[in-house]
Amino acid sequence: MFDYLEKQLPKLIMAPTAIVMLVCMYGFIGWTAVLSFTKSRMLPQWEFVGWEQYGRLFANPRWHVALDNLLVFTLLFIIIALVLGLMLAILLDRNIRNDGALRTIYLYPMAVSFIVTGTAWKWILNPGLGIEKMVRDLGFTDFEFRWLVDPDMAIYTIVIAAVWQSSGFVMAMFLAGLRGVDDSLIKAAQMDGASTFRTYWHVILPVMRPVFFGAVVILSHIAIKSFDLVQSLTGGGPGYSSDLPATFMYTHAFSRAQMGLGAASAMVMLAGVMAIIVPYLYSELRGKKS
Amino acid sequence: MRASTTSHKLYKALFVTLLLAAALVYLAPLYVMLTTSFKGIEEIRNGNILALPDALNTSAWSKAWSSACTGGDCYGLAPYFWNSMRIVLPAVLISTVIGALNGYVLSQWQFRGSNFLFGALLFGCFIPFQVILLPMAMLLAWLGLANTVTGLVLVHVIYGVAFTTLFFRNYYVGIPTELVRAARLDGAGFFAIFRHVFLPLSSPIIVVSVIWQFTQIWNDFLFGVVYSGPGTQPITVALNNLVNTTMGGKEYNVDMAAAVIAALPTLVVYLVAGKYFVRGLTAGAVKG
Amino acid sequence: MGSIKIQQLTKSFGDTEVLKGIDLDIKDGEFLILVGPSGCGKSTLMNSIAGLEDVTSGDILIDGNNVTDLSPKERDIAMVFQSYALYPTMSVSRNISFGLEMRKVPKAEIEKTVADVSQLLQIEHLLDRKPSALSGGQRQRVAMGRALARNPRVFLFDEPLSNLDAKLRVEMRTEIKKLHKRLGTTIVYVTHDQVEAMTLADRIAVMKDGQVQQFGTPYEIYNNPANRFVADFMGSPPMNFIECVVLDDKLVIESQGEKFELHIKHGERLKDAGVETVILGIRPEMITEPKPHVAGALVHSLSMQVDVTEPMGPDTIAFGQWNGTEIQARLSPEAGVEAQLTGLIKVQVDTSKAVLFDAFSGARIDA
Repeated sequence: MFDYLEKQLPKLIMAPTAIVMLVCMYGFIGWTAVLSFTKSRMLPQWEFVGWEQYGRLFANPRWHVALDNLLVFTLLFIIIALVLGLMLAILLDRNIRNDGALRTIYLYPMAVSFIVTGTAWKWILNPGLGIEKMVRDLGFTDFEFRWLVDPDMAIYTIVIAAVWQSSGFVMAMFLAGLRGVDDSLIKAAQMDGASTFRTYWHVILPVMRPVFFGAVVILSHIAIKSFDLVQSLTGGGPGYSSDLPATFMYTHAFSRAQMGLGAASAMVMLAGVMAIIVPYLYSELRGKKS
Repeated sequence: MRASTTSHKLYKALFVTLLLAAALVYLAPLYVMLTTSFKGIEEIRNGNILALPDALNTSAWSKAWSSACTGGDCYGLAPYFWNSMRIVLPAVLISTVIGALNGYVLSQWQFRGSNFLFGALLFGCFIPFQVILLPMAMLLAWLGLANTVTGLVLVHVIYGVAFTTLFFRNYYVGIPTELVRAARLDGAGFFAIFRHVFLPLSSPIIVVSVIWQFTQIWNDFLFGVVYSGPGTQPITVALNNLVNTTMGGKEYNVDMAAAVIAALPTLVVYLVAGKYFVRGLTAGAVKG
Repeated sequence: MGSIKIQQLTKSFGDTEVLKGIDLDIKDGEFLILVGPSGCGKSTLMNSIAGLEDVTSGDILIDGNNVTDLSPKERDIAMVFQSYALYPTMSVSRNISFGLEMRKVPKAEIEKTVADVSQLLQIEHLLDRKPSALSGGQRQRVAMGRALARNPRVFLFDEPLSNLDAKLRVEMRTEIKKLHKRLGTTIVYVTHDQVEAMTLADRIAVMKDGQVQQFGTPYEIYNNPANRFVADFMGSPPMNFIECVVLDDKLVIESQGEKFELHIKHGERLKDAGVETVILGIRPEMITEPKPHVAGALVHSLSMQVDVTEPMGPDTIAFGQWNGTEIQARLSPEAGVEAQLTGLIKVQVDTSKAVLFDAFSGARIDA
């Protein structure tokens, strides 16, 4: 009897996690899916209306602004963070002294909350007293830098702050990847007479494809989930010009008593994340087995 | 030979210059936050954002800590700082313990379906939390835990366990299964093996897990803003309220002091144990 | 105390059957070697005996008690692992004592056992060290010490020497044999090294594809292999396999255009078998330079064109070709030197210990 219990112990240990996961992840996803097909507003209502909420969602101009913003934000954020991170990593990889201190500096924003980041950049980008005033004080009195209050430009301030926060992380990933490249590979390329640039372009970067891939996945994941930063930097404004799906969902589900609509937007977000994550996890787990 | 050495040196100087310039840009926001927080409000309005403060004026700090208004009340950030501590410490502890046991099972005591379970858990690291916000709010209300610190601890444990399990599983997978076999022949059971063989090996991964969870939960805003109420808000929510409180004139020095206060615990952890912080980031991020 | 009886043991992982009905009867105090190529199921069989893996069907009895469903802890078995599996955070002495501690043996007794075992294995000076501070050979000793301390009914050794360098391996081999002589405890020892198998075993079980091909003493296995696989696997350099045409009760070997007829024991059975060709299995040491031979030998003189020689020290292996197959002969060093110079030499073939296999199935046809 005791022996039987001992044998089942691993399963018993995992059971609570498995159950909670089943309920609080997969069950809740299902629950949200169900909500998105109901008329729920302030409180859940179990009157089913089919795809109506999704219809309303995609008829809503604010949702389209959020999606457009997400596209612009995600693309710029990923590209800039990747290029910046990769450049820093390559430069750091060239036997620079005190690279530890530099690494620490590039990476510290990652330790800070997005709310803090937003607060800091909100101040730096302050139209009256921030960078604008600084440049004007230098003598360029016509200089204007008011992205924060410009509906067309507000989303780019979020890109700036997000890149500042996350590019160090990309640097760390690439640096780890570069340091992991087999030395003999580099030596072989040099023996073959390849220049430093060619060595990186043809030999080292291709080997780092998985790191590249992983970084893109993580960054797009951060982008889609972005909520805190928008909330603290622009509050989605001016108006709703810098809304993202995450803030859209929060506003409608919790402030505007549009639970059904909020649930529908959450499901669309989930679909977006899955489209990126599932192939990635699939290839990762498959690669592990072989 | 000589020419190439010279150009080599030139290149290196160029690289170092670029790296240092980048470092200045990365440091600028922190610098601006600190200098602004020590300035008086007049100095801010008239001076340059990059200028050093005329004198070390700490009034903004004491105000941010104990008397600034955050939405409704004006007790400063202090109560919320301690709220965050009361949320973070138990949540970190519990999720790390559960993650360690889970990882131990998933790596060393695999059973039919355990790999599937791990895959399902891994997926949980990636779901956008928006998709569970509404049902979780209902569950917390049903449990009577809405707007409580306990409720927030629960939420952070539930969604943190996926990460801690991932950390420990990936760490323990590198330990040969023969150790468990040897210990079983030696007569040790499930928990004895964990305690005597695995736990003594785990210090690095415990540090990684604790640091990761600490930063994640301390910096959380989404769960905090949705599941807390007046009096139970974590510091990130309070900071956001403080900055966006529109009563009276904007006090940028207080905002910045408050932001630094909110950032301080995780920054300290990062500076003390940066190595483990990076390891957590990359382990949580790339390894499957 | 420690006889093991294994009856009709099978083990499947999903659709693949790793053990296909194993029957073994291991006597108390016996040194049994499980040998075979990788993937033959020998490690699975050992883990099943240890209780580390559940079996699909069949029984395992230790001292007559059915232990098939008992946990490893209750079987009173100790094991030495290929990777040693020493607990990395524990000192050597705690590694040795851990099993006793888990079994709640009184402290004084544990201390005495650790002292005895470490003296026996000459590792007293290492007791306070961590495994990471030990050399490969020292780790090996500690791993053995951990097993010895428990004084179990059965020792299991899972390729314990394969991580050691060649010289140390030979030393430890001898030491394990001495240890077994001294303790008299049953040992089941897995290896893929046929030299280890021959030198250590009381009896050997040769395995392939989840089945025991032959179970016998080293002498039986070497001189009377059950089939071509066993004959090929055991012995270094390996047995020569020459496909020969049958001529009444004799076999024909062609060398350099010359035909030789070989008499064999039980030649009359060739007729009964009614086959046109057979595989002649003959060990290299039965092909030598001409020399005086013992009574009972079936000696023939053949020519051999030597392509290359490999001096081993005590003797020299010469490579040539008969019937279009490469063969190896074992010459004295002097004859080896001469063979290298002249190329075409005369060799003496003794077929008294030769064995015959079916050309297709590899089964013995003369036994």
